[in-house]
Amino acid sequence: MAAARRSLFPWIAAIGVVFAIGWAVQGTHLAPADFTFCNGTEVKSLDPLIVTGQPENNMVNALFEGLIRWDPHTLQPTPGVAESWEISDDRRTYTYHIRESARWSDGSPVTADDFRYALRRILDPRTAGQYAYQAWYVKNARRYNGGGRAVRPGDLVEVELNLPPDAINTLRGEVLRGKLVRIEGADGKPMEGDALAVAVKDESIKLESWTFVVDLDGRERAFCYLDDAPASRTTPPGGVRWCRQVLLDFREVGVEVIDPHTLRHTLENPTPFFLTLLGFYPLFPVNGRCVEKFGSPQWTYPENIVCNGPFVPLFRRIRDRTRLVKNDRYWDHDNVRLSTVDVLAVESVTTALNLYLTGKSDWNYDVPAPALKRLLHADPPRTDINPFPLLNTYFYMVNTTRKPLDDVRVRRALSLALDRKEITEGFLGCGERIAYSLTPPGLPGYDPPQCAPENLAEARRLLAEAGYPEGRGFPTFTILYNTHETHQAIAQLIRKQWQRGLGITVRSRNEEFVTSLSSQRQLNYDISRRGWVGDYPDPNTFLDMYVTGGEQNNTGWGRPEYDRLIAAAAEEADPVARFKLLADAERMLMDELPIIPIYFYVSKNLVKPYVRGFYNNMQDAHHVRAIWIDREGTTPSPFSRVQP
Amino acid sequence: MQFCLRRLVWLAITLWVVFTITFTLMRAVPGGPFDKEKSVPPEIRHNLERRYNLDKSPWQQYWLEMERIALHGDLGYCMNIGDYSVNTVVRQGLPISAALGVLALSFAVGLGLITGVVSAAYRGSAADVLLRLAATVGIALPSFVVAGICILLFVFVVPLFPAAGWGDWRQLVLPAFCLGAPYAAEVARISRTSMLDALSHDYIRTAQAKGVPPVRVLLVHGLRNALLPVVSFLGPAAAGVLTGSLVVEQIFAIPGLGTYFVTAALLRDWTVSMGVVLVYTLVLYTLNFLVDLSYAFLDPRVKLE
Repeated sequence: MAAARRSLFPWIAAIGVVFAIGWAVQGTHLAPADFTFCNGTEVKSLDPLIVTGQPENNMVNALFEGLIRWDPHTLQPTPGVAESWEISDDRRTYTYHIRESARWSDGSPVTADDFRYALRRILDPRTAGQYAYQAWYVKNARRYNGGGRAVRPGDLVEVELNLPPDAINTLRGEVLRGKLVRIEGADGKPMEGDALAVAVKDESIKLESWTFVVDLDGRERAFCYLDDAPASRTTPPGGVRWCRQVLLDFREVGVEVIDPHTLRHTLENPTPFFLTLLGFYPLFPVNGRCVEKFGSPQWTYPENIVCNGPFVPLFRRIRDRTRLVKNDRYWDHDNVRLSTVDVLAVESVTTALNLYLTGKSDWNYDVPAPALKRLLHADPPRTDINPFPLLNTYFYMVNTTRKPLDDVRVRRALSLALDRKEITEGFLGCGERIAYSLTPPGLPGYDPPQCAPENLAEARRLLAEAGYPEGRGFPTFTILYNTHETHQAIAQLIRKQWQRGLGITVRSRNEEFVTSLSSQRQLNYDISRRGWVGDYPDPNTFLDMYVTGGEQNNTGWGRPEYDRLIAAAAEEADPVARFKLLADAERMLMDELPIIPIYFYVSKNLVKPYVRGFYNNMQDAHHVRAIWIDREGTTPSPFSRVQP
Repeated sequence: MQFCLRRLVWLAITLWVVFTITFTLMRAVPGGPFDKEKSVPPEIRHNLERRYNLDKSPWQQYWLEMERIALHGDLGYCMNIGDYSVNTVVRQGLPISAALGVLALSFAVGLGLITGVVSAAYRGSAADVLLRLAATVGIALPSFVVAGICILLFVFVVPLFPAAGWGDWRQLVLPAFCLGAPYAAEVARISRTSMLDALSHDYIRTAQAKGVPPVRVLLVHGLRNALLPVVSFLGPAAAGVLTGSLVVEQIFAIPGLGTYFVTAALLRDWTVSMGVVLVYTLVLYTLNFLVDLSYAFLDPRVKLE
């Protein structure tokens, strides 16, 4: 190493450091938007047919619009892309008239075909939309969504052929239509009736091992599933063609384009909340030309995306911010008063609160619990906070397959021995309400049946009757909760209440969120904390979870009578009779208590006093399109509980 | 040259080992990427899994994933933020983490060296004791405490800096300080010790006897020799700054990579976890290599081999 070179080294290093620091501090200046809000975690996608979750909901509602839109105050369905609609007398056929002025952000008209395209896309099993089941109310939608496992011999089917592996991933292969003759299993024998019904439920069986024989214009042809890449390389065995998938013929699904501005849905059952559901993003339209030109997810990039809502994205910085600008082609653009909106992705609620308090955010929808309590009881009272009861329930689920929790008397004793007031008033203290039912009160026309309130004497009596007088001989059990300060504190409180009141020994254990879900699913718990957010304002969103073997049941509980009530409610066209059936079901749930309700959540919105068009509602749904800013304070705030 | 080549081969081996361990560990933990609060019907779940090759056997997944990463440099699509490829996430996040890291480290070295040298020069004085106390506190305090105090002082009491965010240099000062503080303390301790060691040598006395000005003795004769341990510390410090930035990134809402390092694992976002772990391995390996290389320039006694 030459000495000259060595003496140069410090200088080179110093210059390097100066440049590095210079590079690090160079900023990008950004003018603040008209309205900025903290939207929790980064949204998973801008594609309305793929996403789920609260941050996504806020974002997608700003970019797209469905046939109807919710009134920002009452959440009642009001005309969106459809200017009017008719509902048949049996409440199974909905005909919508799409407004002529509805436009995509590229200027083309929004038509009935766009809605049909979007419905087919979310139901296509290859799209893997997690909210596809929100569209299952449409006739045969569930069967189309089920793909090759949902078709039966005799059905009209469509066979989607393979495309080259490098084709854009949103394109469909050539579609052949015919009648399904038979399905052959891996052994080459046709499967029918019960054998087929069992086989399609067995997830260990790969559809790739089956052969679908379809009658195409009088000729029987055999098809086997194979992915595009191997299908392009391998020749199929004799007489067989490769295909991507076999589905029910989409023409069997209850969606019909009558003309470019008239669309019709035929439903499986009279579904009273269907109109409301149309304002929920899984049923929004997407622009097929854009989706198929760029593929997924590239079509959602700000430079490519075509949307039909009040705003369009200008740029997106991952986990920082997405800037939205007003869409001048939106049909109701005259009533959108914000021209730019910044959607901040801030994971920490404390950081979000700091941003709000220093004026960098105009709306936060989550506040750390201790801070919320202080803000709520601040003197003088703050105008920017107003907790509101929500359609969310906090409850404990009981594993009814384990002794002694399989005994209904034990479950009742546990519920009776709870002092819920200690939890809501003593610990939470933000106006949360005690829950004696799974469905929160406040749904118009539905008065949820309740379980019995606190009664220690009765609880002790029931426990003695079950064979555990004063808790003697009662096995120790464990409360499982997902790791979170609030859940931990509540578990400790309940543990003490049960130990004190019933003389039984209770432990608690926490698991990180995803692990706890998997424990619940495998019934690997005694009692577990759970929360549920209603997807739509109807008791069914809570009650249909507890049908025997339901996806979300996870308690091992099931009663044929309960299943019958839920099924009958689904078919009932009369809203009053329907609520009666659902109330009977909930009565049963509250008598048997496979779940023990604890409290109902409240909203935690912090909204700057100059924000207008922001209303409290039980689904905590807030639409940016309705929001505007009144810095002079010339109009009253509809949100605030105290008027300045 | 041979030294560089050998390091390159070791890099490949390290990456492979890290890949294999990460791959195995992720699949050994209960819960998968598509376990959500609202569980997914089996058909839809199957399709989600197919999109990420999760329907294949673990061996096939292992080979497919290795092939994709090694041959195409493609880290796949995020399982959680489905809109973006892991490569995009890294491309957007790494410069931010790097900027934060550079500032934190420059701050750590700058402040650390100054206090270390001052401490050593005035050994035993009140200033020395005070600075050493500060250094101990700096090491002991976790960064969220430092961050909390800083926010309270410089955001709410004296509104000098914004509370959080990214884009403006003013938004960088507090996070870089909080991230760098423990390392500044560490650098101060190391430089003080090695400075004291260097100052006790005979050539220092010779220089002083010759009448060389004290500042020159300290900075040229002393510091130059005391610098080497500090440089060695830069490798691990860079690793700590990059992988340990989670807390600071969350508190100051900085969209860097450090957060993914932890959250991706919690959300079972297997592709992002893998991507971030591999990128960090690569970055840290390179930094350590540069540190080793710089020895040869700093110290004539060191030969690369």
